Amino acid sequence: MIDSRLGRSSSAFALAAAITILFNTALACAKDANQPLSRYMASVTGHNWTTQGLVDLILFFGLGLVFMKAGRAGNIDPWRLISLVVAAVVVGSVGLVAWYAVF
Amino acid sequence: MNITMSDVILLGHATFGILAILSALWVFVEVLNAREENASRIRTGVAVVPISLCAACALGGYWYLHFYPAEKAIILQGPWTFAHNLFMETKEHLFFITLILALYLPIAAAEKLYANASARTMVLCVTLMIVITGMAIEGAGAIIDHGPKVALLQAHVKGAPVKGNRPE
Repeated sequence: MIDSRLGRSSSAFALAAAITILFNTALACAKDANQPLSRYMASVTGHNWTTQGLVDLILFFGLGLVFMKAGRAGNIDPWRLISLVVAAVVVGSVGLVAWYAVF
Repeated sequence: MNITMSDVILLGHATFGILAILSALWVFVEVLNAREENASRIRTGVAVVPISLCAACALGGYWYLHFYPAEKAIILQGPWTFAHNLFMETKEHLFFITLILALYLPIAAAEKLYANASARTMVLCVTLMIVITGMAIEGAGAIIDHGPKVALLQAHVKGAPVKGNRPE
């Protein structure tokens, strides 16, 4: 039997991945532009990069579990979710390059 | 022969990164031809990607925190300051995007890929993006690694010492 819907966990974590990827780029730019934020993040784990990695992981798994419990991500059209993940990666990656190339 | 712990960690970081890229490419090709017969091979490839990338992250993270400041100081005194300002800054944050994709991969591939077109497309897209961003990260690593060499060569030609903050 051919199925064309993503499973509940796959949909939930796809949405979480897209949000986390965009958040990662936004946080990288924010801490680069805002030294007090960078220093605060460094004070948490000893280095701002380590803190950012931990925040990303917590956000990804946290959001994924929340979306999975809520069950709404499963109702999103799978092709829309795939497009969202791809768009998040493109925007996140190009955004990082552009930020560090310009600023 | 003098191979330091810094060298071992750095080469291990790059090796695990390449292993993750090759595994993602392997999964991509297997999923293009997804059938019930190759489902176990797909599962194996899918498991190798996040394990390799987590190992690359642990080794690279340790090296970045403990050994990179000395190299950064040398890079910033040389002509290739962009090796740090653009390539390292981008690489260290782009890595998290690849890591999130790698951690999502086993979840996306848990479906019956041979019977689900959407899940198959999702896994194809995720593995392809791991390969592309992974190759970009490897390329950036090569440029960063070349930064101190260019600085030291220029200083050698000029006859002026380059000061890093690596302990003697």
